[in-house]
Amino acid sequence: MYWLPAITLIIGLIVTGTLALVSHSQYVANEKRVLKLRARDADALVAGALPSVQTPLASAAELADVTGGNVAKFKRFAAAYAGTAGSGHQYVSLSLWRVGSLGSGPVAVQGAAPVLAAQPGTATSFLAAAARSPQLSVIGLLRVPQPRLGYAYANPGASGGYVVYAESPLPASRRSRLQGSSAFAGLDYALYLGHRQVPQKLLLTNVNRFPLPSPSDAETVPFGNNALTLAVSSRAPLTGTLPRDLPWIILVLGVLLSAAAAALTLRLTQRRQAAEALAGRLEVIASENERLYAEQRDIAQTLQHALLPDSLPTVPGVETSALYHAGERGVEVGGDWYDVIALDAHRLLLVVGDVSGRGLRAATTMASLRYAIRAYAAQSDDPAEILTKISRLVDVAESGQLATVLCAIIDTESRQLSVTSAGHLPPLLLSDHGGEFVDSDVGLPIGVEADTEYRSTTVTIAPESTVLAFTDGLVETRGESLDEGLERLRAAATRHDVGLPELLGTLVSELVNGRSEDDIAIVGVRWTS
Amino acid sequence: MDELEGQPDQLISFDVVVDGERHATVSIDGELDMSGVDPLAARVEEVLGNGVTSLTVDVRGVRFADSSAIALWVRWASAVDEFELREPPPLLLRVIGAMGLAEKLGATS
Repeated sequence: MYWLPAITLIIGLIVTGTLALVSHSQYVANEKRVLKLRARDADALVAGALPSVQTPLASAAELADVTGGNVAKFKRFAAAYAGTAGSGHQYVSLSLWRVGSLGSGPVAVQGAAPVLAAQPGTATSFLAAAARSPQLSVIGLLRVPQPRLGYAYANPGASGGYVVYAESPLPASRRSRLQGSSAFAGLDYALYLGHRQVPQKLLLTNVNRFPLPSPSDAETVPFGNNALTLAVSSRAPLTGTLPRDLPWIILVLGVLLSAAAAALTLRLTQRRQAAEALAGRLEVIASENERLYAEQRDIAQTLQHALLPDSLPTVPGVETSALYHAGERGVEVGGDWYDVIALDAHRLLLVVGDVSGRGLRAATTMASLRYAIRAYAAQSDDPAEILTKISRLVDVAESGQLATVLCAIIDTESRQLSVTSAGHLPPLLLSDHGGEFVDSDVGLPIGVEADTEYRSTTVTIAPESTVLAFTDGLVETRGESLDEGLERLRAAATRHDVGLPELLGTLVSELVNGRSEDDIAIVGVRWTS
Repeated sequence: MDELEGQPDQLISFDVVVDGERHATVSIDGELDMSGVDPLAARVEEVLGNGVTSLTVDVRGVRFADSSAIALWVRWASAVDEFELREPPPLLLRVIGAMGLAEKLGATS
């Protein structure tokens, strides 16, 4: 039940994580690329200062070479470039050295004494090398109380002539802001002399802690015979804050969306399961109902058959048969019945009846009437008298029930049929001449009035006739005249020339034809000789 | 007018009006069988209990009546002094005649 929401959540989180990672690495790559460009720009700017450093030195060296090291001329020239710190001059010290006698110190000094001069060994080797180099030579004098950057230049081709040496101060703490340059806007930086970022070679920085925080970049550019290495780090995202925050935004939104999707999936899963469970329960209820219906129908039919005769009596010369058909509302017992009673060796009492209504009340009334008729038939063989007696047993005012009953005495020897009707449909007489309903007198149904008088109608039957007595379910259809139903029965009964039991079955199935909701009882007697 | 719907294709309606000192008219429409007679029986029972002794049952609109419905009319006919089944349609009259009840129900064509 939880696997679908769990998978939804996991997939959502994986997608979110991937997107956040891609976005972050994209951001880092962009930052690096931009930082590199900024570092190059800034470095180039620093290195761009070289000509302005070199030009005064080159001019002074030229002057010294031409004047043969004239001190006065040198100092006059140097005064424009060197002075005490804070005097606005480019250098704090500008000095002239003769290459041949470097060990004896400078020939002339303008401004402060060069710090380099305090280290004669270093001075000699640096300046000697500078004299041979066509480039500007740079030296860092950094481990002294007043750190300085030293520059030396000798005109090429003036070998054995003069070397000009200048010093410019560095802040003691190396802390400085490179102002007036947008190239350093938003950047932390550390400027080193040489190719490597080593603390001893640090020239300038605006931070206290090293190394610079990541992401950082370092670019090295040539500076005279030396090089400058600039390490930079951005204080704020160079590509903007949105690219920096985007991975987090993606992460937060992705997690929220994944959780929402998982919750929705869970809800849908639960709903579907609830619906399935409900459908399952309904199915169980439906099949239970079906089972109960079948059970009730079984009970009704069992009861019905228990209330009807097990077998019919046999009398020589005639064949008897009966059939009970439960209507569509077969879950209840009906009030229809039939009976055949042998009065003596050659006379039969044929009974068909119908108690109004359905259910146990109708069935019990039916049973009591059936057994009452059997009892009265033992006392009297006059059906009119029997019906009068049973008319006392039912009262519509009391029970709301009526019963229509047909009693017919059949004399097999004299072929006499005596019919008495208490509101019941007439029997059908089938012979070689066709079929006709016995036109008998119809009395009140049982239940209307006690001690109703009945009259019997007696007819003589042609040889090999068949008598059919039935209840209204066989011929009654809603919206149709009773006569149409009776005629349909007569036509069907004369059309089929089959054995008696088959005839009853055929008539019921043909006339019911799926429409009957009422029960049907039908009983037949046929002369066999 | 009370309307009762049993099975979908089955609709009966009836109206019971006490329209005289001791007379009531019952109008019934539709198909009347055992599944729908109980409310009608209860309503008329109530009217009869209030002293009505003359009953006219208007069955012009009855398309079908089974033996339970006919038994109900017979019961009413036995309970009052005067009973008339007004203008039963031919199909209904034929069934009443076949049951030998035409005279009892005051229904003649």
